[in-house]
Amino acid sequence: MMFKKSLFSVAMTGVLAAPAFAATLQDVENSFYPYKNGTPKVEGVSAGMVINQSNVETVKDVLDPAMYQFVKNGDYEIKVGETTSFDLHSSYVEATKAGLGKVKLGDKPGIIEGAHAGRPFPEEPSQDDPRAGEKLAWNYKYGYNWGDSAAISPFYWKYRNMKSGKVERTVKFNFHFLNYTHRTQQEPYPALTPNPSSLFRGIYVQVLEPFDVKNTQLLIHRFEDDLKRDNAYLYLGFQRRVRRLSTGQVTDAFLGSDIMIEDFEGYNGRISDMNWTYKGTKHMLLPMYNHNEMELDADTHKDDEGYQVVAFGGKGGCFPNITWQLRKVYVVESDPVDPNHPISKRQHFIDAQTFTIPRNITYDRKGDMWKSWLIGQAHPDHHLPRNKGTGVAVDDAFSMVDMQANHCTTGQFKGQVDPKLSPASKFTVQNLRASGR
Amino acid sequence: MAGSPTTYAADTEWAGFVENATYVRDGVGLSKFRNTGQAEFSKSIESESWDNIVVNGTLRATYDGVYDLNDDEFGKDATQPYLGSNWHGQDLSTALLTAGTPFPCENNPTLCNNLDGYMDQDEDEAKFPEFNDELDFIRELYISADRQLDSGTIFNVTLGKQQVVWGKTDLFRVLDVINPVDYSRHNIYDELEDIRIPQWMVTAEWRMGPTKVFDDSNFSLVWNFDKFRPSNLGTCGQSYRILDAGCFFTSSTLGVPIIHDVEEPDWDLGNTQFGAKWEGVYGDVTFSLNALHYRQQLPSLHFRANTAFDPTAPLSPTNAPFLSDGVFDIKFPKINLVGGAIDYYSMDMDAVWRLETVYTQGEELPRDTNGHKETDMLRYVVGFDKNMVIPSLGTGSAFLLSTQLFGEHILDHEADMPNEEDNWIGTLLFKGWYMNNRLSPQIIIAHDVAAEATVVAPSISWTPDNHWMINLGLNVKTGGDQEFPWSATALAGQPGINVTEPLSRFTNGPIGVANQEDEIQLTVRYSF
Repeated sequence: MMFKKSLFSVAMTGVLAAPAFAATLQDVENSFYPYKNGTPKVEGVSAGMVINQSNVETVKDVLDPAMYQFVKNGDYEIKVGETTSFDLHSSYVEATKAGLGKVKLGDKPGIIEGAHAGRPFPEEPSQDDPRAGEKLAWNYKYGYNWGDSAAISPFYWKYRNMKSGKVERTVKFNFHFLNYTHRTQQEPYPALTPNPSSLFRGIYVQVLEPFDVKNTQLLIHRFEDDLKRDNAYLYLGFQRRVRRLSTGQVTDAFLGSDIMIEDFEGYNGRISDMNWTYKGTKHMLLPMYNHNEMELDADTHKDDEGYQVVAFGGKGGCFPNITWQLRKVYVVESDPVDPNHPISKRQHFIDAQTFTIPRNITYDRKGDMWKSWLIGQAHPDHHLPRNKGTGVAVDDAFSMVDMQANHCTTGQFKGQVDPKLSPASKFTVQNLRASGR
Repeated sequence: MAGSPTTYAADTEWAGFVENATYVRDGVGLSKFRNTGQAEFSKSIESESWDNIVVNGTLRATYDGVYDLNDDEFGKDATQPYLGSNWHGQDLSTALLTAGTPFPCENNPTLCNNLDGYMDQDEDEAKFPEFNDELDFIRELYISADRQLDSGTIFNVTLGKQQVVWGKTDLFRVLDVINPVDYSRHNIYDELEDIRIPQWMVTAEWRMGPTKVFDDSNFSLVWNFDKFRPSNLGTCGQSYRILDAGCFFTSSTLGVPIIHDVEEPDWDLGNTQFGAKWEGVYGDVTFSLNALHYRQQLPSLHFRANTAFDPTAPLSPTNAPFLSDGVFDIKFPKINLVGGAIDYYSMDMDAVWRLETVYTQGEELPRDTNGHKETDMLRYVVGFDKNMVIPSLGTGSAFLLSTQLFGEHILDHEADMPNEEDNWIGTLLFKGWYMNNRLSPQIIIAHDVAAEATVVAPSISWTPDNHWMINLGLNVKTGGDQEFPWSATALAGQPGINVTEPLSRFTNGPIGVANQEDEIQLTVRYSF
């Protein structure tokens, strides 16, 4: 009987892997403009209200379990804002339309065919589809994200003791992102050439401060082939040479922060490293807002063009002082294929419109809540003038709270969607040497 | 001025540190009380014709108080009972050679004159090593600029006093030989970044970026037009003198100075050094191919034979196998080097393999007869690096395991060479991070096979905040027991016996010769 069931599952997987549920133009419309016919309404939740210890029980259903716990404990208060549409760039929507019906999953996780640009699976996920979670993961991986290229310059990470609020260390970075393929808006598109190793994405990180890690640089090359591990190069200022890194250790605490390399942007590993399960769709509060209307922190950063980063508060200064809005959310769980992985699963709360992951909860091997990831998404039309009209949900403030260690790492961004800041020449090994002198 | 390029300068960025390094040596006491101030600046200049124009500079000032605080052991009055008393016992060789003269220019004008500017610092120059005729307090000062070419590639020129680093090897210099090194600062144990001696050079790079074949490709030329400077091995009387060479050079036998003259090449276009490198990325492999014409930075001793020597007559300064005004001349021969390096990420092992190798022509190695022999050399390093998250060690940060095997093959080896025809040194680095990477223990172990010498250097670094760093370490060595026959013992009627001086210093290597330099080391740094 068990054997028959397995055969049935395999057969179903094969059927579902093909574009059996071919998406339609209406699916695309629904996927990118979910609030066209109105914003979510949940009884008891309204713009302008503050959710705190006194009323959290009444709105528990729109909070993820970790945020509910934080508010209940009095660690943080949530200010609710209006739901706003984060329209992605029209070029990405058009690329999605152009790819309709051409994308299908391979025989095993990590393999996808026909995905050249745009959202691979714009149709609504179905609980009946055993690979729905994996499709949502692909939608995230090939999401519009930062667009074709962008920079976070500068980017402040603060390592904080959550009990005392003491900032133990502040690291100032520049981060740069570049898509080699799946490009839709910045010329050239859909791909940069030449690209002999079929790179999908480059990430370049440069440490500006403090002195002991100044000039440390990291270059990550991610391949189109999801089954292949990244190539990573590290330049250490005091060695003045480029070291290759072994990249399998994605659970490494990056530069001693509370963030695993695998945690970046919500998930930064291979699709094939996880089993993905779609758990449902619901309306929830997510940290998405207009940057220019938030409380800002001139002490950390203020520059000639008047830009300031988002302020932090709450217990230990571990939470951004921002507003949250009701959003359509896909709840997805990922559990590691590797039985020795230090976590048992992550709960991802994916924003259905942008396919960013503003909220994550990581569970330890025992199944207890371990870490809470928050990345605030700022609307590009209410941010830096040059971000207006880019259609990028701008990563604007992050917090990773280690709930067991009472420690957190926070991030304050100056996100800039400007191709001049991230030319392809920045994503070369030689650039590490040249910039690190 | 209409039509001229517009140029303006951005703000200058400054950073730096002050640091105290206090080391205590077993049985000796204070061996280092080094106080360093270092400032680094970077100034960008905007131009319409060039991109990324940056002026970089590094200024450094050091005062080492060990010569004031432990002048019994180090300094101009720190005499030794016999040559090499800091690393071996007495034997016939130490009877034939006198003890070295500390800081010869403060004690012996003849020796000072013979050394002729090489490793002849006076005590003040050891206390304040950057304040010398070469203006070493300017550690680096160079300007760099890029030019976008029509092909979409980038041309870069960097001109000034700088370090140019080749290769992929830690601790050893295989390809990384463009700048000489100051071993007097802390033997082989300081970061090369801090002990390379910057040179006035110009580099030109053509950054081709990705091509149809390579993911990255770069061709560069380097021209070291500075006056040649050899590596500093440490003057006799200093607390760190690699191979104890400084004291041997200030020794004498039969009243004749060991060193007669140091022939440092004058500045001349023909004496400048130059090289080329092509490097790139091909799939999972990064590679470089290198060629360099340079000078040997370690001294080569040329024996000054006395053709009138009469072995049947009594030995005297004027009747000895060597000339009466000095036994050896020091020379720095020209070398041609070709080599390369590759590294490869193995996904199956989740580890990086490194290989670096060079072949040289023109090097001169020590030997008993004539002091030296020119020979081709092959050197190579195989490295293995792996980052590992080890939950049982109580941290989520990955540990770094890095091992290397450094090999050296002498192609024209002779039996009277103290260096083995083939020798290997293995190294291991294991480094971990705790408390959000603010606490970092590590251990470095290195073993020299031929020398049968080992160094173990555990340390722990604590970074309480963005400014302070405290490092506490141990540096423990064993070895230094190798002996080598010295033909001069025949003059005392005992040919062919194994002795310590002068040749076994090469057999024992930098680890073995420092066998009595076990230290506890504390460094405190404040960065700004």
